[in-house]
Amino acid sequence: MKYVIIGGGISGTTAAEELRKRDSHAEITIVSEEHHPLYSRVLLPHYIKGKIPRERVFLKKETWYAQQRIEWLPGVIAQHLDPRNKFVGLSNGREYPYDKLLVATGAEVRSLEGDARGVSYFRTLDDADHFLQLVMQHQEIPRGAVYGSGFIACEYINLFHHFRIPTTLVYRGNFFWNRVLEPVCGELITRHIVEHGVDLHPNEELNTIIGEKELEGFATNKQEYLAHILGIGIGLEPSFSWLRQADVEVNAGIRANEYLETSVPDVFTSGDVAEFFDPLVGRHLMVGNWMNAMSQARTVAKTMTGERTRFELVSSYATNVLGLEIIFVADVEKASADQIYLVGSLDQGGITQVFERNGQVVGGVMIGRNKDRMPITQAIQQKHSWIQLQKELIF
Amino acid sequence: MPKIRVLVDPDLCIGAASCVTIAPETFQLNEENKAWVLDHGSEPDGHTYERWLEVTEEEKENIILGAQSCPTLAIFIFDEAGVQLFPER
Repeated sequence: MKYVIIGGGISGTTAAEELRKRDSHAEITIVSEEHHPLYSRVLLPHYIKGKIPRERVFLKKETWYAQQRIEWLPGVIAQHLDPRNKFVGLSNGREYPYDKLLVATGAEVRSLEGDARGVSYFRTLDDADHFLQLVMQHQEIPRGAVYGSGFIACEYINLFHHFRIPTTLVYRGNFFWNRVLEPVCGELITRHIVEHGVDLHPNEELNTIIGEKELEGFATNKQEYLAHILGIGIGLEPSFSWLRQADVEVNAGIRANEYLETSVPDVFTSGDVAEFFDPLVGRHLMVGNWMNAMSQARTVAKTMTGERTRFELVSSYATNVLGLEIIFVADVEKASADQIYLVGSLDQGGITQVFERNGQVVGGVMIGRNKDRMPITQAIQQKHSWIQLQKELIF
Repeated sequence: MPKIRVLVDPDLCIGAASCVTIAPETFQLNEENKAWVLDHGSEPDGHTYERWLEVTEEEKENIILGAQSCPTLAIFIFDEAGVQLFPER
């Protein structure tokens, strides 16, 4: 059996590991855009802050692949898929036949048009090295800026704070995660950020990068800002053209059923790019977190080796911005919820937002209220209603 | 039954909860969003980030799987002789 995995991140590598455990004779190939062996992206902020040495971000050694008899193709991407004759064309010029193909590529960061040295993105180890170099090269304290209002923006705010770099924050919407949060939840976060000294400018769009070679600042639709380091966190942009051309059904992500099977036989997907049917919440979801990427890989490896297994997990993602804990659990899109309920308040310094659809709790966001995570997770697993969940929460 | 020492470094733990999903009898998140170490679902002598556990081979494998799933490698597992089982050195 020939398994080809496109993507060498946590999802692709976990799938390869699981496939090897389940099939000791199989041929397994990982095609990885990254030049590095598997590392933890979640550890990159720890590395930049000096909490751990650089070598500790790696989860696999280079020798691991050969030990596991996994063919590892670093620095290579897939460019062409022929699902009828079952092979993929790679950027190294070779064509790889497969019996089962897994697409677990993750997504590229969305980038700005302009560029100058000082503009930073935050996805890979190379990005982390670059950011650290930018911070260290300045003799005097530089001016930091962040453009965006999501997870990556939080990381940049925390990193600048760690290095005591004064920070300007600009984003297009009214507040963080505006497709998820109610305005009062957004206000809780913005209030916290401003109290910690961040110079906040919502409702502005970045138009131009200023600076010939080195970054000097940027201009929005309203004004110009001084900045030596500008962290960009404006979302992800997967590239699916090679899959679309092969008639793989693609929407925002690669469409898959609850078994992580795509619309094309013997082509599977997992991780950030999978837009999979989640039977717990009753609709297709795209979930970009570690727990989801790893768990999907374990499940899809079972299905690929013949033990067809439904993927069922209430996944979650925890982050914090300047010490304020924010946790997302399961399905947290406002537009897809029938009802939204709030627990806590601005004055209490913590608010939990619960999402209900068809009489079932399907998701929750906890801001400064970690204690609600477990009851909400259980309510989703057990398909409880808000009325049932309410009894478990402390108001 | 094998005896293992399970340790969570609260400074590295970010509350990703992967360990809790895989090994809920051994890990539970506290109010600070860090994982306490439990002994088969209970906490003799109260909350702690470090504990000796007597486990079956199967339980040991699952706890190691929980540790492997941690995105910040905040969970350390040692055998009776003090050898670090995970993360592998």
